[in-house]
Amino acid sequence: MREPVSTAVTRRGFLKTGALAAVAAPLVIRAPFAAAATKVHDFQTNADVAKAEQEGEVVYYGHDGEAGIGVLLDAFKKDFPKIKTSYVRLQTGALYAKITAERSAGRFGVDVLQLSDISPAIDFQKKGGWEQYASPEYAAYKAEHQSSPAGYYGWGGISFAGICYNRARVKPEQAPRTWKDILNPALKDGISAKLAASGMQHAQWYMLRKLYGNDFWQEFAKQRPKGFDARAQLFDRLSKGDDRVCALAEYAGYTLFAEKGADIEFVAPADGLPAISIYIGVVNKAPHPEAAKLFVDWALSRRGQQVYQNQKILLYGSLRADAGPMPTGKRLSDFKLLFPTDWNDYVASHPVFVKEWNSIMGL
Amino acid sequence: MSQASIEVRDLIVRYGAVAAVRGVTFTVGAGEHLTLLGPSGCGKTTTLRAIAGLERPTSGEIRIGGTPVFSSSPNVNVPAERRGLSMVFQSYAIWPHMSVFDNVAYGLRVRRRPAAEVATRVREALDLVQLGDLGARSASKLSGGQQQRVALARAFVFSPSVLLFDEPLSNLDAKLRAEMRVELKELQRRLDITSVYVTHDLEEALAISDRIIVMRDGVIEQVGTPGEIYDRPRNTFVADFVGSANLIRGRRRPDLERDGLVVIETPGGALVHGIALDRRAGAEALMAVRTVHLRLERARPPASVNAWPVRIRQRVFQGDFTQYHVDWDGRQLIVRSAGAEPMADGDEVFVSAEPRHCVLLED
Amino acid sequence: MRTWTPGPRLVSVVVGGGAAVLVLYPIAYLIQASLSVGDPQARPPEAYGLANYADLGRYAHIFGNTLLVAAVATVLAVIVGFAMGWILSRTNVPGRAAFEQLMALPYYVTPLMGALAWALLGSPTSGFVNQIWRALGGDGHIIDVNTPWGIAWVMALFEGSVAFVMIGAVMKSMDPALEEASQVLGAGRMRTMLRITLPLVLPGVLGATIFVFAEMLGSFSAALVLGLPSRFYVVTTAMYQLVSQYPPRFPTAAAMGVSLFAVMFVMVWAYRRIVSAGNYATITGKAFRPRVMDVGRLRWPLLGMCVGYLAVAVILPVLTILYASFQRLTTVFPRADNFTLANYRTALSLDAVRSALWNSLLLGFATASIGVVLMGFLSWLIYRSRLPGAGVIEYLLMFPQAVPRLVFAFGMLWAWLVFPIPIYGTLWLLLIAYLTVFLPLGLRTISGVILQIDRSLEESAQMCGATWGYRLRTVTMPLLKPGLVAAWLLLFIASVRELGASILLMGPKSKVITPAIVESWFSTSSELTAALALLQTLAVAAALAIMFAVARRAVQAGGE
Repeated sequence: MREPVSTAVTRRGFLKTGALAAVAAPLVIRAPFAAAATKVHDFQTNADVAKAEQEGEVVYYGHDGEAGIGVLLDAFKKDFPKIKTSYVRLQTGALYAKITAERSAGRFGVDVLQLSDISPAIDFQKKGGWEQYASPEYAAYKAEHQSSPAGYYGWGGISFAGICYNRARVKPEQAPRTWKDILNPALKDGISAKLAASGMQHAQWYMLRKLYGNDFWQEFAKQRPKGFDARAQLFDRLSKGDDRVCALAEYAGYTLFAEKGADIEFVAPADGLPAISIYIGVVNKAPHPEAAKLFVDWALSRRGQQVYQNQKILLYGSLRADAGPMPTGKRLSDFKLLFPTDWNDYVASHPVFVKEWNSIMGL
Repeated sequence: MSQASIEVRDLIVRYGAVAAVRGVTFTVGAGEHLTLLGPSGCGKTTTLRAIAGLERPTSGEIRIGGTPVFSSSPNVNVPAERRGLSMVFQSYAIWPHMSVFDNVAYGLRVRRRPAAEVATRVREALDLVQLGDLGARSASKLSGGQQQRVALARAFVFSPSVLLFDEPLSNLDAKLRAEMRVELKELQRRLDITSVYVTHDLEEALAISDRIIVMRDGVIEQVGTPGEIYDRPRNTFVADFVGSANLIRGRRRPDLERDGLVVIETPGGALVHGIALDRRAGAEALMAVRTVHLRLERARPPASVNAWPVRIRQRVFQGDFTQYHVDWDGRQLIVRSAGAEPMADGDEVFVSAEPRHCVLLED
Repeated sequence: MRTWTPGPRLVSVVVGGGAAVLVLYPIAYLIQASLSVGDPQARPPEAYGLANYADLGRYAHIFGNTLLVAAVATVLAVIVGFAMGWILSRTNVPGRAAFEQLMALPYYVTPLMGALAWALLGSPTSGFVNQIWRALGGDGHIIDVNTPWGIAWVMALFEGSVAFVMIGAVMKSMDPALEEASQVLGAGRMRTMLRITLPLVLPGVLGATIFVFAEMLGSFSAALVLGLPSRFYVVTTAMYQLVSQYPPRFPTAAAMGVSLFAVMFVMVWAYRRIVSAGNYATITGKAFRPRVMDVGRLRWPLLGMCVGYLAVAVILPVLTILYASFQRLTTVFPRADNFTLANYRTALSLDAVRSALWNSLLLGFATASIGVVLMGFLSWLIYRSRLPGAGVIEYLLMFPQAVPRLVFAFGMLWAWLVFPIPIYGTLWLLLIAYLTVFLPLGLRTISGVILQIDRSLEESAQMCGATWGYRLRTVTMPLLKPGLVAAWLLLFIASVRELGASILLMGPKSKVITPAIVESWFSTSSELTAALALLQTLAVAAALAIMFAVARRAVQAGGE
């Protein structure tokens, strides 16, 4: 499935031999780096920091909400006050459409791209859109949590989903414990999930189909689930009792609303929690190449990952080997996360998913 | 004052398949006051608008002061604003967002006259239409008659070479209309501008014109002075339209004609002598004799022709005159008499008409 | 001495042609995309075919849903707009002047805010009304806005105020003598309204109806907020899903959009037929004094109607949003620990509020100012100039209304990306986009008034020797002033609240605020969204207040 690492050497722009060592020895933390890597604050970068500051700006395209992106960029600006930040935010599908349209018209205005779905990330790699940049910080990540070959994009953090229910509206004896419980006919017309645009929904569909077979989702369709675009809507409705059970309850959404005082309960089924990552990398032909590298290094560093993981508006679990606990006190390793094992199969299943899911959601 | 002649030749105006004006030719002499008279839909307004330049003719030629302003070959079409004409509209077309003064001053300001001259001439014009003290008033606060005067003043203030009137009095009540008619005539005299006037009102036409053109269905029916039109209608249509004429049908009797008179014999055997005016008519012909030209007498008149005994069927007193309906030749004739000698219903009297008042009509 | 002035023909060709290019240029790309049958992401398409159109049959139920809510909402909006327009411009209902200003408020409230408010008010479980109902011992719910009727209701309330503005402008410019004549002849008020008023304002009403219907077809927010919970999709929400999922299905969405052109084409055709069939000039050269009729005791029920409308379209929604913006998790019964200022703290810290709000106001000002001149001229060109091809231009300019902006935005994105002058990613691009998508709005508002101006008012200026430019400036434009002011306001608000086109065309340095508000609804909470929406509304209100104060002062300083 994974290409041999050595082929990567032939790629243009892959110059730093030190990075090769990092990729070849993914499990070694703080592997020895070439002299080019410099330490700034408490992380390593191959970017020329002086040059980056001279460039003075980094343009970020992302999928998170305004508030989330604001928190992230503000944290970066605090560390590098000389580098201004600007951004475009759109949902992953539209965001990816925009960046590809721009590039096909010969406009290169983006430095860093972050996507919430692996399918476009792999497509972008095929199109030669990512700059292959071996961030020294990759050393803290497992090889499976990097692009293949390494250096195109990194896994910026994990989001995973279980089941959530409104305690006031679901009787204790009906409260779901396992994934199969979302098929309980008593919950008909009271279940919500996401629409086909969601990468998280794709992951859940894929993993539960692997676990319980194709019929599982056909049964689910009979519940007349309600589909929404984003997690905030799911939890907003769940908290207010408009829906009784959320079948795709992201942990990050749960913590945010539980903190607001919503009477909801998170369930982590024993079979595991479908999980996805976000993907971040340097875009090639970036207008501010050094600042872009610096930003990605920062984002993947322990420092940046603390922002991703600890800011409640983001709350992406860090895959770094040295990551601390999440604000809830739990670590990623406390959950049984379900990742696809075969990414090609996963990406290939996407059209099937979209079609089936649209019909389940009544579109 | 400036004057210009107008020549209209073979004018045709078509709207799609419908021809509103179908080949009209006439001239207006410099300083002449010409009226286009006819029922609605006869093409008189269209002809006027074609002269104005507001309507683009399909073919033909229009010259003003000898200069072609429209011609279909060679192609000439001078826009309305450069023809040096002016026009008074049926709806007055007073601009409600301007004061009376601004309305009137418009044409002068268009011509970039110095403010002092504008002020003087507007005041003169307003004095002329007896609105001297209303200059500052908003145009939307005027009565119908006042608006009419403003429209007049606005039309002549900048000394156009030709003034066009499109039924200017038709929106006024009867009394005001009669007053304005006199005023208009007086104004015409003082301004001494060539004018073309459109109306469907005979009295108006007779009162203010040097010459009248009667139109029907897009063609000219008769051209003549008010006297000619009134006394000697050319055909049934004009006779009808001008009104108050008795039409007498009969067989031509060429054998009895002498002294340049024509004779027709009615179905009842009466012989009516009249004038032909070089008009052509068939064996069956019509004569028109105006109601005021028939005389009623108690004694047999001395005339050798056109005198018949009749009985009075009905007498209608109408103030200025008395209208009698008399039995004649198996039908009724209408006689209007301003004479002081009243006759009663059932009186046996004599009716007569001078041959010069009996006009042969064309087919 | 005559200076050379460009002829009407030349200027018309330049402006009309320019506007046509503005519209057709992106449409060409949309049509191209709708014919793409290869990889949906490939630009330019790999292969062409009609498969996308053939596939539309699958979405028949969505087209049906769309027509249903759009038709219901349009009927509702036009009835309300007509009734309000009539009450406020033709009767002596107390406080007319004040009400007239207030009537435009629902438009400022925006459909998104309206939908959010009504979702809070009328959701079957959490809706305030239903919570109170249950607290009073009721069972289940008494109202449910998550239905086609609920969606149409919200659309009518908040998109429908356009109908009021358009119809109101027409009513005001109608000669009251025409109505009085009918009353003098013994016709009752109702009869007068139906037989005289209605036919006279028909072109304006019809123009508004067609426009509102098209607006409803393209309405997004209400169906998004209220339709999803009941799995009820309309064309716009379906398209939104199609283009936001990966890979985005542009070709299908573009085909949906292009097929809506046909609907638009028929509507414009019908409108032109009706307008040209009758003589609808009601501003005649006979200047009139605006007068109102005494409706006697009837004015209290009529006043009630006005207040009722304001209550459901402004007061209730705004109070709901205001309340929600101070809540952690909104419920109808206040609890001390549920109150918070956090939403405002977050809102004010957002980039969206700090820079985007200013951009939005700036763009609104520019769009409205340029738009009024451009669209005023285009209306004149279409309805008055009698230049050949004017009719074609009208059809063209109505196209942007036919396609939901979200989809039209992709056409504009592709079009302006390859445009040689580098406006992409700047506010200029948004300005161009707004001017394009709001052409129909401006045209409808202004042409409703222009059709009522008697031609002879312009012709008499012509007979006074005024050139076309001079006429336009001294007669036509001033007569259009009420229509132009209404159009300016509509364009300003429409620009500030624009969502569909902005989402995609914003660059990192050219952001506007509305997308941020919608986005916050997606990614944060209704409470923060409420705070943002209120801040936007406040900013717009403040901007307008300042602008009018400045304008009034300028007018006074300059003398009448």
